[in-house]
Amino acid sequence: MAAAKKLMSVRRDWRERDVRVVLVALVIAVATVATIALFANQLQRTLVSSASSFLAADRQLEAENGRPVPAEWIDEARERGLETGQLIEFSTMVFGEGGFQLVSVKAVSDEYPLRGEIEIQPGSDAPRQTVGAGPGRGEIWVNPRLLRLLELEIGETLEVGNLELEITSLLIREPDGGFRLSSLAPRVMIHVDDVPGTGVIQEGSRAEYVYLFAGPDNLLDDYYQWLEPRLEPSHEWESVRDGETFSRSLERAERFLLLGGSLAVLLAAVAVAVASRQYALSQRDTVALLKTLGLSSRGIGGLYLRRLALWGIAGVIGGLLVALPLFWILVRLLSDVLEQPVDFHLAPSALLPALLTALVSLFAFAYPPIRRLRNVAAMRVLRAQPGESGRDAIPDIAIAILAVFGLVWLYAGEVALVFALLGGLALLLAVLALVGGLMVAVLRRVRGGGNAWRLALVGLYRHRQASMAQMAVFAMTLMLAATLILVRTSLLDDWQAQLPDNAPNHFLINIAPDAVDEVEAFWAERDAPLDTVYPMVRGRLTELNDQPVLEAVSKDERIGALNRELNLTWMAELPEDNEIVAGEWFAPGDTIGVSVEAELAERMGLVMGDRLTFTIGSETVTEPVTSIRTVQWDSMKPNFYMAFPPGGGLTDMPGTWITSFHLDEGNKVALNEFSRRFPTVSVLEIDHIIERIQQIVRQVTQAIEAILALILAAALVVMAAVVSATLRDRQREGALLRTLGGQQSLLARSTMLEFALLGFVAGIMGVLAAEAAVYALQVRMFEGTFRWHWQVMLPIPFISAALLALFGRWQLRPVLSVSPMLLLRRLE
Amino acid sequence: MNQMTDPKLAATNPMLRVTDLTHRVSLETDTLTILQGVSLEINRGESVAIVGRSGSGKTTLLGLLAGLDTPTEGKVELDGAEISSLTEDQRAQLRASRVGFVFQSFQLLPALSALENVMLPLELAGMESPEARAKELLERVGLGERLSHTPRQLSGGEQQRVAIARAFASDPVILFADEPTGNLDNRTGQAVSDLLMDLNREQGTTLVMVTHDEHLAARCGRQLQIEAGVLTEPEAARELAD
Repeated sequence: MAAAKKLMSVRRDWRERDVRVVLVALVIAVATVATIALFANQLQRTLVSSASSFLAADRQLEAENGRPVPAEWIDEARERGLETGQLIEFSTMVFGEGGFQLVSVKAVSDEYPLRGEIEIQPGSDAPRQTVGAGPGRGEIWVNPRLLRLLELEIGETLEVGNLELEITSLLIREPDGGFRLSSLAPRVMIHVDDVPGTGVIQEGSRAEYVYLFAGPDNLLDDYYQWLEPRLEPSHEWESVRDGETFSRSLERAERFLLLGGSLAVLLAAVAVAVASRQYALSQRDTVALLKTLGLSSRGIGGLYLRRLALWGIAGVIGGLLVALPLFWILVRLLSDVLEQPVDFHLAPSALLPALLTALVSLFAFAYPPIRRLRNVAAMRVLRAQPGESGRDAIPDIAIAILAVFGLVWLYAGEVALVFALLGGLALLLAVLALVGGLMVAVLRRVRGGGNAWRLALVGLYRHRQASMAQMAVFAMTLMLAATLILVRTSLLDDWQAQLPDNAPNHFLINIAPDAVDEVEAFWAERDAPLDTVYPMVRGRLTELNDQPVLEAVSKDERIGALNRELNLTWMAELPEDNEIVAGEWFAPGDTIGVSVEAELAERMGLVMGDRLTFTIGSETVTEPVTSIRTVQWDSMKPNFYMAFPPGGGLTDMPGTWITSFHLDEGNKVALNEFSRRFPTVSVLEIDHIIERIQQIVRQVTQAIEAILALILAAALVVMAAVVSATLRDRQREGALLRTLGGQQSLLARSTMLEFALLGFVAGIMGVLAAEAAVYALQVRMFEGTFRWHWQVMLPIPFISAALLALFGRWQLRPVLSVSPMLLLRRLE
Repeated sequence: MNQMTDPKLAATNPMLRVTDLTHRVSLETDTLTILQGVSLEINRGESVAIVGRSGSGKTTLLGLLAGLDTPTEGKVELDGAEISSLTEDQRAQLRASRVGFVFQSFQLLPALSALENVMLPLELAGMESPEARAKELLERVGLGERLSHTPRQLSGGEQQRVAIARAFASDPVILFADEPTGNLDNRTGQAVSDLLMDLNREQGTTLVMVTHDEHLAARCGRQLQIEAGVLTEPEAARELAD
């Protein structure tokens, strides 16, 4: 037994090439999964904190009733270890030397912002800079446009109510520059402690009190648990995830990372499965010998199981040793891309998927073929036994499919994804079997060589078994890589399409009905035509089927839209980016009914024909639901929960008009003239928000590219591992061919051609299978529309052919560089 | 068949001429001399056995004679071509067109059937339809019924017969055999050497064989003894041994 044990030592194992491949594959698997999990975790944190800066905090509590919340709520938060901050927003007139102007004031506490930074410009020629706190007492920061409107300079003073404040800086950008309707007028920022001194806010004034909270998620959640029962309808608790504009971008990025992780697992599994099968085949003689020497099947099973466990430990340790520095580099890169330091966070829980992957890879993919070694006949020592038939591998494949299913499900959490991938793979294997059969049938006719092409074809036929197996693995690897490339491309395209360069970046609100034509003409003259102009009536949804709406809707749902006034509109045409999901859009001439936004309808449990009652001023309007439609909240155009037909329930209700349009940075001066000519129209500048969103999309894009690169690298290694699985046979053949008179150059050319052909066919099939998988994914996972991607896909077969040709050449290198005699002796 | 059978050329040129051949290999610390000052001539159609103990350098000599490697010093002329002056590709071409090999360990490719193994040199030589010729040879060695069997499914003797069929496939003018019966039992070895000798006679091939099987060596027209890298006549060797 001592000798047998020695035979089983890992050190000895390492000298065997197949074991090296298994171990390397395992190390890659663990390293890839660990790196992705760690990095995704880090990215998640970074993105959320980046997104948090949209709220200037992790959570916001808004009191829309014009009254501060009880002080004990804030004290409670502090006691629970949360950071807090406060701001008050209100509108007022300010007076300067050049006149007066309605402004939107944001009064901030010392702690503001808890997340993100404020961008200011301390002089008209001074460089912009970012700072971590707002103005001090006695100071005021103002929007550059206000300075022009009031003909003021930095250093002069501005009267806000009873208080004179010194203008110390231009306010360029605030992290939470959201587009609330209260922030229509040019923005100024002051210190919250100056607010009482201004005397502007009296009992009953329209002011919004906003409280900021930041801290670990669990503390925030606990606090919300405590707070929720105390909240009134006018209080709104907001988290990043509620931000309509951008939660979807985040969600898609997250899904992409998970998809990437899953594909990495699949790639790793393929590598481990291929290498271990190869290993098992190479071990058959050893096992037969051990059996001859008297070792039982059980003993052999035990030996190999222990060995597998040792590999597992070695693989995990090796994988982590690779993953940690890689992760560190990625985080450094990330922080370069974001142009801000990223705090390095090593989440131990992110290592679990790596451990699980190692375990599953070993026991679902590596163990089955090795397990069957127990059945090797001792007779094999004396005489070759028939090899394994394909049927023996069927249980292996079943186990492998189950394991893949489980892992992908676990990592991506999407059954649709699992089915899309497995469906794509099944389709691929079916097509492969067909194409493989055809290829063998055609190649059978090719006989004789002479030139590299014919030799390559003969070679393909000669290695048909290995070639087909390799082709299957290459095609699968390419399919997975291509899927990822495709998803990435369409994801980025979608984002790009969502926020094109000329996306609307200004809103005009509060346009009087008789001024609509004039306003349109004003901007048309300045080459900034308006998008559709919509009427807007403010009203509250009060009853559902004649019952008060808050009672009629399930208590579990806290629906913000029901607690505030909604913007109602009427329109004849369905906006281009809206889509009817139930019922029908108003026919021309229809005056009955209301169309409801899909998400709200779902949360309220609305069905066609439900009667909604709206209170508008002192009037009420009741209409049946006639359609439900989706709305692109992130389209940066006016969007409405409720749309009525022209001449319908909203006719004769007091309202104003709203629109959006794109205005170039250079044209912004026109806003001053516009404000003078249409003093009652409010201009909402969201160009900074759009810029910020675009910046975040760029960040996410970079991160996705980084992970894609990682996975493509893994795919390359898998392919190299698979090619090297037949290394020994190939080298032996090469040596013999040279002895028999094959010229080096001919051998090199024909081998490269053979691999290139293999790679090309695998490439085509991988690409087609990827398109099939993406079709399923695209429609289901990323809610996009499907397009063919010829320009992305076309190069892949050629790249794969070139890569494999290089692999083939590399494999043959030792055969070509030494004398045939040495080769034969070495291989004997 | 080819120019080599031209009687005039055959008269003026020996098949193989070796002059002052010395071969050394560099080890990590020093240099090992494997062959020292070997000179010999082998005529067309001759059958020559090189005998000697394990490690005497006979297999290295065979490899050098066949152009599988080049000697450190000295000249090897194979069918009129000076091997050291040829490029590796030219040597390969020479092997493909004029040289056949039989190895002790058969050197069949395990993934290929018997037929495909025999077709291999024909494909390399660029023959248009090598299948018929390969089948014919396999029938000649008595394996006409086992064309599609892979080496694993064949016994040692059968494998060596496939190897012999392969060696004769490309109509070589000279055949190098390295211990062709070394891995076979007496009776099988006898049958295989009968086959080798018969085919050799039929094809008029020059045969150079390394063996330590005295019976097999005795069937060759001439025997060369090699000891510690130095070539001696067998009689002289015996005297030395005495």
